[in-house]
Formats: sequence, structure tokens, C-alpha cells
Amino acid sequence: MTTTNNRDVQWMTWFFPAWYAVFGVIICLLTRVTPPPRPDVTAVDKVAFFAQHHTTIQIGFVLLLILLGGAALTNGLVCYQIKRMSVGSVFAYGYIGGMSVGALPGFLLVTVCFLTAAYRPDRNPELISLLYDLGMLSYNGSLGCFTAAYLVLAIAILYDRNEVFPKWFAYVSIWQIITEVIATQMFVFPSGPFAWNGSIAFWLAVVVFSIWLGALIMLLRAAAAKEAAQ
Amino acid sequence: MTQTKLPGDRDMWIMVLGDMTVFAGYFVVYMLYRSWNHQEFLVAQQHLNITIGVVNTVVLVTSSWLVARSVQATRAGDIEQALALVLSGGVGGVLFMVLKGYEWASKITAGHTNSDMFYSFYYVITGVHLVHVLIGLIVLGVVVRELRNPARRRAQMVEIGATYWHMVDLLWVIIFALFYVMR
Repeated sequence: MTTTNNRDVQWMTWFFPAWYAVFGVIICLLTRVTPPPRPDVTAVDKVAFFAQHHTTIQIGFVLLLILLGGAALTNGLVCYQIKRMSVGSVFAYGYIGGMSVGALPGFLLVTVCFLTAAYRPDRNPELISLLYDLGMLSYNGSLGCFTAAYLVLAIAILYDRNEVFPKWFAYVSIWQIITEVIATQMFVFPSGPFAWNGSIAFWLAVVVFSIWLGALIMLLRAAAAKEAAQ
Repeated sequence: MTQTKLPGDRDMWIMVLGDMTVFAGYFVVYMLYRSWNHQEFLVAQQHLNITIGVVNTVVLVTSSWLVARSVQATRAGDIEQALALVLSGGVGGVLFMVLKGYEWASKITAGHTNSDMFYSFYYVITGVHLVHVLIGLIVLGVVVRELRNPARRRAQMVEIGATYWHMVDLLWVIIFALFYVMR
């Protein structure tokens, strides 16, 4: 049995969960966008939200601006494994492109909105309120933008004959598509199960995303170990 | 001890059980909101056309039966018969989508939009189910392609397709009961 030296790939399989862990700390503990603040509150409540979390929002989102490129590295690792499949590179590039489309509204726009709101806290409350809505709608409402990437990944896995990833992961990616497409409903519902903090539009999608991400972390490690043994 | 074999493959069963868990989540949330707004939901529900609901249930159950018979035909080696059965099962799926599209269009033109809580659930849950029917048609298409190719012809592939198609059918029966029938 020959061995492949893929130490760089194995390193990346550690970077992948580490980056998502830091990302989780930023969005959950610092910037407070997850769990999402309520959509059905007044402008005064929104100003109070920014006043209460002013410092952590600034620290968190400035940190994210610096670290956001790490998402490209994690996507690059998935791209690398798709290129090892028998389906050809088009799917790998499709995945990268699809994830990039989602990252713009999903991370950058909310970052700019929340940092702008925190920049001048004495601004007109209506304008703060607009930045709050714009940031949250862009952040959670853009979940559907990632669906092209998941679709490309699912098709690549189902067609692949090199067995880089197991077939069931293609199906988990299809659940991702289904649950995240429902996020489009956030743009018409200010409260209830389909709002941006809703049980169906948001929380079920988060549960499925967590399962998807956890599975992907394990499968990337397994794929790198299998490649090393080949 | 007799060895029993799982029809299809393990991966599709993970898909089916996981997908039904996600749908179970939708159904639980729907039931909670229904119990909190019982009267409002009952009034809105009166405007659903139960005849179309019944016809669509019969269409999908029949389609499932055809696909199940196709599995038996494939196992018996009667590929011509199996192909005809899968294709007619697919026609059932298309018919279901046409009827659902007509139902949606007539509800929207009658003013029952997603501004009503009951109908917001109705459009989202039947919409997600419709996407599953569409995926099912793609799955049946793959089954047809494999059956036509003598080198790739496998009973297991037909079983995988049938497993998925039965799930689509089962989910619809639950949706039909929760939205159209339950008072």
C-alpha cells in the first residue's frame, strides 16, 4: 500500500471546525445575531438593542471582517474533495461560486449594517431601525442563496464513483435546500413561525444546518484519512 | 435464522427517516399554532376544496401502487412491464402537481393568500411537499434510465426509487389529514 502525503489537507480538516467554532462565538456571543433579536419590536427597542450590545457588536463584527476569508478556505477544502470525485471540476467551481454568492448578503451586508448602526448611536431611531431590519433580513433571509451550492454538492456526491463522500450526505444536503428555501418567507412575516426568528423558517433550518455541518466535519476528516492511505 | 434484506439501500433509508423527522417538526409547529388559533384555522379551512384533496390522494396512492408493482416486475425480470409501471407512476406524479397548481391558483385568486395564518402554513407545507414530488419525478427518471440500460439494470435501484416515492405518498396522506380533514 502506497501512502499519499496530504498533510496540508489534513491540517485543513482541523482548521475547518476551528473556524466554524470562532464564527459561532462571534455570531452567538458577541454580535448577538444568533439567536436572532425579535423582528416584532419598536424602533425604541431596536435602539436599546444596539445600546446594550454596542461594544460586543463592534468587537465581533470587526473580528469577522478580518476572519471572513477563512470561510473561503473551508469552502476550498470541500472544493478539493469534490475535485477528487469522478464528476469533474465544474461541480467544485459551482460549489465555490454558490457559497460566495451566499456570503455577501449572509455575512458582509449584516456586518456593515450593524457596524454602521453602532457607529453613531445617536442617529435618528428610524434609521437605526432600518439598519436593524436590513441587517437581520439580509443575514437570515439570504439562507436561500446557499441552495445552489448544496444542490451542486448533492448532485456531485450522487454521481461520484470514487466514493469520496457517502451518498446519505447528498440527501442531508437536500434537506438543507428544503429548509433554507423557506427562509424566503422571512421577508413577508414580521412575527410567527415564518419570521426571521420563527420556529419553521429559522430554527428548523438551524437544526438541519448543524447536522449538515457536523457531518461534513467528520466526512472531510474521513476523506482526508482515506486519501492518505491510498 | 432467515436473513432479511433491507429493500433499496441504507442511504435512502437515512434520507426517508430524516426527511420525515423534518416534516414531523413542521407538523408539530402547525398543530401548536392550530391549537392556539383553533377557530380562525377552522374558518380558513372551510375554503379548501376537499374534492381536489381526495382526488390528489387517490392519484398519489395509485401512483405508489404502480411503482410498487414495478419493483415486483423488476424482481421477476419483466423489464418491459417494470418500465411501463414506473412511467405510469410518474404520470400520476405530474397529474398531482397539475392539480395542486390549479388548487393554488384558484385559492390565490379567491384571496386566500399567505396573509392568513392557516394559508401561510398551507402554502409552505404543500409547497415543500411539491418540491419532494418534483425530486421524486427526477428519481423515477433515473430509475427509467437505469432500467433501459441492460448493463446498469438492478432491482436495488428500482427499490431505492420506490422507497422515496412511497415517502412522498405517505407525507401527502398526513398533510391531507391535517389540513383538509381534521376539524
